[in-house]
Parts: sequence; structure tokens; C-alpha cells
Amino acid sequence: MNFLSNKYFLIAIRVIVGGIFIYASFDKLMNQEMFSKAIYNYKFLPGTFINIFAIIIPYLELIAGIFLISGIFVRGSSLIISILLVLFIIALGQAYARGLDIDCACFELKNELENANQKSDILLRIIEDMLLLTASIIIYIKSKIILNKEIQQ
Amino acid sequence: MKKTCKEIFVILLISILIGLIANALSPNGIALIRDDSERFLIDSSKTKSDNFKNQRGKLNKAGFYQPVNIPVETAKILFDDGILFVDGREPAEFQQGHIQGAINIDYKIFKDKTKEEKNEIMKDIRKDQAVVSYCGSDSCEISIDNAYEMAKVGFDDMKIYLGGYKEWKQFGYPIEE
Repeated sequence: MNFLSNKYFLIAIRVIVGGIFIYASFDKLMNQEMFSKAIYNYKFLPGTFINIFAIIIPYLELIAGIFLISGIFVRGSSLIISILLVLFIIALGQAYARGLDIDCACFELKNELENANQKSDILLRIIEDMLLLTASIIIYIKSKIILNKEIQQ
Repeated sequence: MKKTCKEIFVILLISILIGLIANALSPNGIALIRDDSERFLIDSSKTKSDNFKNQRGKLNKAGFYQPVNIPVETAKILFDDGILFVDGREPAEFQQGHIQGAINIDYKIFKDKTKEEKNEIMKDIRKDQAVVSYCGSDSCEISIDNAYEMAKVGFDDMKIYLGGYKEWKQFGYPIEE
């Protein structure tokens, strides 16, 4: 697992994870009303807090993404991204477990095929987020080791 | 760890500040507190269902007329008056059974259309008449969301029948299967 400590490998995953977060933030920033509705559809957060999250999360993603790529506050950014990803995974997981359709906040009885399609969509997103979380944790841990080495030198 | 906490604090602070300022300045800014209190509300002061029939939604800040939630009795009166019912579920569910004479506008597809495309889809529906939006049952919110999408493109008298197909069928009112 030596390659994980490779400087260039770490830069590469920083750019990938940071880039994905910057890209994801644009869509939400363009239409915050829709993002607020999307959070609502998860039936996960109390209604009062939804808009605060809808206003702040896109900027958190954008700024943490920019910092991660540019190498500023790498540990703080990767930890924030990890926490966000854990939240996303919990939100998706509870929707999956409850059989919630996150396109419309419905618990409709559907035929099995449609239900299976929606469930596999959510499952795919959970897997994507878990991969990103792994990458983000690697950045966090390895940048600490590199930092310590630099201090010792 | 102390350094990381400091970094997190700085990133959070910048995000909160920029987020709040940008939201306050943006013409598309949203309210800080989301208000869904009226989403499922049926105005109980209107004891006679006939009152709902003529109750028009208020013109809201976003520039469209607010859809009005109606109980089953009002839905039946409007149905008897020949008012159009729009079913927002997916075509497969619609075909399994729907309110008699209703048309199907699948919310999940409709919501992503442009304003022009939405008007094109609804070109045969009169804008000066009420339109009733419904879906499967009260555990489904498509009826509400679809009505808002339609109100935004100029349907000024949208009604939302929250009970949906399930309640309608329970009452034994006309359906097509």
C-alpha cells in the first residue's frame, strides 16, 4: 500500500475529489429552491433547518473543494468533505431502507420493477459516496503523515 | 488536531458568510426558514365544501397563484361540474387505475421541462378554469408539487386533491381501470 503515500497519487485524488465537489456545488448554487426541495424529499431533516442547509452546504462543498485542489487547509477540507459524505450516506441509506422515492418524497406502492430500479439508483449513489469517502479519508490520514515528516525534517 | 479544528472553523465561517450574503443579494434567494406549514393544510373555516370550489389561491411573492388544497367532497363537486383532473403519477400506475376522465401528466418528467415545454404539454387545457391535481394517496406529494409546477406556468386556479386515487376509490366514485 506504499503508493497511497506517494505524493503524486495524493495530489491526483485531491484534484479528483475536489473537482467532484466543486462540480456538485454548481448545480445546487444555480437553483437553491430546487436543492431545498431535494433535501425535503429525503424526509430526513426537520423542515426549519432545510433552507439553512440549502444555503450553506453548496458553498461548503465549493470552498472545501477549491482548498483541497489548491493544497490550502487540506486536512480541514478533507475532514469537512468526509463529514458531508457521511451525512449524504446516512440520508440516502434511510431513504433506501424506508423505500422512499427521493424524486418526489413519496412512499407510493409501485410495481416491483420500478421499485427495484429506484432502489438500485439509490444504492449506486451510496456506493459512489462511499468511494469518495474512502478517498477523502486517505487524503486526511496521509496528509497528516506527510505533515509530520516535514516537521521532523 | 487543534490546527485541523482551526481550519474547519475558518472554512465553515467563510461558507456561512458567503452563503448568507449571496442568498440575501440574489434575486433567486430563498427564505432562511422553510415554511411547509400550509403544504397539507385544508382550511377548516370553510365548512361547506362549496366554499372551496370558489376559493382562489392568493397571488404569492413568486408571482403565481397559490394552489388550494381541497377535501374529497369538493373534489366530487368539481368532478360533477366537468372540471379536469390531472394525475401526476407515472404512466404505469395511471394505467392501473385513475379517476374517470383524468389525464396523465407525469410529475417526474414534467418538473424538468422548460416553461415553454410545460405550456406545450398543457396547451389543450383551459387556463381560465380550475384544474384539480391528484396522485396516489395522501402519502404521496406529487399532487402538491405538480400543482405548483402548473401554477408557475400560468394556471391560476389549481386545486390539490390530497386524498388522491386511493380515497376516491374508497368513496366509490367513478374510476377507470
